[in-house]
Amino acid sequence: MPRAPLPEFSSSVRLKYVKLGYQHLVDNFVTFLSIPVMVAVGLELVRRGPQEIVGLWRALELDVIHILCSVFVIIFVATVYFMSRPRPVYLVEYACFKPPSNCRVPFSTFMEHTRLINSDEKSVQFQMRILERSGLGEETCLPPANHYIPPHPTMEASRAEAQLVIFSAIDDLIRKTGLKPKDIDILVVNCSLFSPTPSLSAMIINKYKLRSNIRSFNLSGMGCSAGLISIDLARDLLQVHPGSNALVISTEIITPNFYAGNQRAMLLPNCLFRMGAAAILLSNRRRDAGRAKYRLVHVVRTHKGADDRAYRCVYEEEDAEGHTGISLSKDLMAIAGEALKSNITTIGPLVLPMSEQLLFFLTLVARKLINPKRKPYIPDFKKAFEHLCIHAGGRAVIDELQKNLELSAEHVEASRMTLHRFGNTSSSSLWYELNYIESKGRMRRGDRVWQIGFGSGFKCNSAVWKCMRTVKTPIDGPWSECIHRYPVHIPEVVKL
Amino acid sequence: MELLWMIATVLFLYSSLSFLWKAFDCRRNQNCYLLDYVCYKPSDDRKLSTELCSDVIKRNKRLSMPDYKFLLKVVVNSGISEETYGPRSIIEGREESPTLDDCDDEVDDCMHSTLDELFHRTGISPGDVDVLVVNISMFAPAPSLTSRIVNRYKMREDVKTFNLSGMGCSASPIAIDLVNNVFETRKRTLAVVITSESIAPNWYCGTDKSMMLGNCLFRSGGCSFMLTNDPSLKHRAKMRLKCLVRAHSGANDDAYSCAMQNEDTDGRVGFHLSKSLPKVAVRAFTENLQALAPKVLPVGELALYVIRGLRHRLRRSKETKAYAGTAVRVNFKSGVEHFCLHTGGAAVIDAVGSALGLNKYDVEPARMTLHRWGNTSASSLWYVLGYMEAKKRLRRKDRVLMLSFGAGFKCNSCLWEVLRDLEDGGAWEDSIQAYPPQSLVNPFMDKFGWVNEA
Repeated sequence: MPRAPLPEFSSSVRLKYVKLGYQHLVDNFVTFLSIPVMVAVGLELVRRGPQEIVGLWRALELDVIHILCSVFVIIFVATVYFMSRPRPVYLVEYACFKPPSNCRVPFSTFMEHTRLINSDEKSVQFQMRILERSGLGEETCLPPANHYIPPHPTMEASRAEAQLVIFSAIDDLIRKTGLKPKDIDILVVNCSLFSPTPSLSAMIINKYKLRSNIRSFNLSGMGCSAGLISIDLARDLLQVHPGSNALVISTEIITPNFYAGNQRAMLLPNCLFRMGAAAILLSNRRRDAGRAKYRLVHVVRTHKGADDRAYRCVYEEEDAEGHTGISLSKDLMAIAGEALKSNITTIGPLVLPMSEQLLFFLTLVARKLINPKRKPYIPDFKKAFEHLCIHAGGRAVIDELQKNLELSAEHVEASRMTLHRFGNTSSSSLWYELNYIESKGRMRRGDRVWQIGFGSGFKCNSAVWKCMRTVKTPIDGPWSECIHRYPVHIPEVVKL
Repeated sequence: MELLWMIATVLFLYSSLSFLWKAFDCRRNQNCYLLDYVCYKPSDDRKLSTELCSDVIKRNKRLSMPDYKFLLKVVVNSGISEETYGPRSIIEGREESPTLDDCDDEVDDCMHSTLDELFHRTGISPGDVDVLVVNISMFAPAPSLTSRIVNRYKMREDVKTFNLSGMGCSASPIAIDLVNNVFETRKRTLAVVITSESIAPNWYCGTDKSMMLGNCLFRSGGCSFMLTNDPSLKHRAKMRLKCLVRAHSGANDDAYSCAMQNEDTDGRVGFHLSKSLPKVAVRAFTENLQALAPKVLPVGELALYVIRGLRHRLRRSKETKAYAGTAVRVNFKSGVEHFCLHTGGAAVIDAVGSALGLNKYDVEPARMTLHRWGNTSASSLWYVLGYMEAKKRLRRKDRVLMLSFGAGFKCNSCLWEVLRDLEDGGAWEDSIQAYPPQSLVNPFMDKFGWVNEA
């Protein structure tokens, strides 16, 4: 007679509590260890009574010198310890560019313009299908030059867009923080697809009359993950220069990058990329610790460029007619997944609680030694972070990551809503998403945020922040007028 | 209690020793050593002679006779020889419509040949590189040039890449500054920096005179160099970085717009060089020197400068006519033996040379570099250094000052200390014997000398 099948252990309620107990035990191992010691000491103290304790103290015959020495040693050791730790990097405040409503590109405008610019009906239909499934909303914005039929991608117009988005964001930041431009010590600008000479960093130095001994860097061509590269660079600079602050600007200038051809792989950016910019103020000054919003905990960069497939998946090239555009390969999702896995392998040990790490390690050992067919254990990153900001590259990217990391709808809500309201603003999208979480009043002191950016190269970069003070709503930002309408349900296909 | 006393002493000694060790260890890792550098030498079929230049200019049907004369005049009087190199697309007649492939090929040629040689000479494999910086001002494709290199040389996943762009002719010290800062946060790090310029997509095809100068002066060139802060590689290093000063005068509107990439009235993009450039350069130069002098000059010279300054002020207040317009000179040669000046043009080199009180011997490397290679933008400093090395001028303990100017307007400088006698010919290997030549006059002066009349 066949035995009844074994019950499904993984879904058993009892096992769930066992797992919970295991997690608490391993995570708070040191505390558990010290409890019996503390109890013993406490009991001993109570048993001996206060009189005996005072007597014991007198018997030690400590005079002033001994006490002073001991105190001195303790202070000395503590100072050495604190001095040798890396300087904390604080995010004092950040501001995102709020596009004006006259730059809006609702679906109808986009399709009308596309039909007038592009004579090839198949390309028009393709772009319509992309837009229907893109996850974008009706309020995303394109720069003024792209509203012309055909678009006017001159250098002057590109500079004008740069001035519009960057200066608005910086003005906003100055207003919020009372920052004096002459106080800025470090300036890092990243803009992938527009790199004039003199650089955008020189443009900012000129407009705000920054100091002549400023350390400025202009990164270009580094893709949608360049925002975190800038943060990494600013962090390194802040480690070296005490008492400094750094202004980081992340943006993407859309004007010069309109693709005028018919190659399908190159039409996608036209449909997805939208105007945006973010200005971030970082500082390592102790006096800013009180008013800072976040503290930077980790930045992990992963570059998959050594693999030819990964290198070619987001590639700027010319089509047969000589039009330049960015071609996105069909492998993009798979490559993004692989890049994320590599990044997670590095960041996992840094952020995961001991319980998850132990489980991961044990299952890895089990797979290697006992049973290779066993499913790999995917660490529960939800235990390590309260909020996630995934680069809003496109609906497919967010879906893929949600599946890979086993995330709930709430975890990816910020990304989806940012894609809907602002489109793919490239490197600044992570900041719009963070602003969404804050606007919803979900950001509490002690919360940890994980920002993940993907970009051409192929790179996957992560940053981990810890919230230092609860952010009270309502907040002044790009979401201020529309946050009450969010979250919205985004259908699979919006019929146009 | 003696025991407590002993314990306290032991703890105190231990903490102070470990603190001192940490400080010493930090200092060991703060040095930035230049392991090696390789300057780019394009193939001979890319040589841009005056005759070829003239043909290229003639191809631009929009130019009138006065424009043609002006351009040819600049070329003939530029101090540039027949041996400088241009991009293939221009030589082959595609200067008006370079393709993305042309730009990629130009950049690849430079980066790959210099990097291959650099890795070969240092014996270090690409997989050991921790930091990669590329600075090419006027070409920034996606994926970036750093990704291009990571792909070709199969570098590690955790390599830190930085692609600097738009930072002009003075970007070399900026890249070094970036690497130096990263070095101070990590131990035993190896960095590779590639500096070059992209000429192919930036040839100006219009009629605006201020934008045509770039065509006459900029030439193909580049350099890859390897830096490290690993003290165990010190014995193989050529130089050690002593200090670096950056001065950005972009806050001033004239300075910001004096060297700018813009569209002309016909909508063609070109690099505009305004007439106020020399004045702006002087101002930026002064600012840089003010910060550089205390770091570079010996105390004696600084004291002398203060005394001379006071004396000058006193004299000036008494006899205004005689001393009006004269400035107190600082003798930079007391703190620096060799000067690598940016080869922006003959006038720039002469002006900087006289401001620093340099003689013909001191500016010879820069002048000869301009003659042999033209203005190769950010990499020019390395060709000048190469000249000095090929001429066996660089001896142990000598100090080398690199000084460059660039759009923004920036003036950046860095001081190196030579660690051992250097003798590599490098890119100058086959031509150093012919330098300095008897005359720097363009051999086509006879043929095109008529442009100097009228």
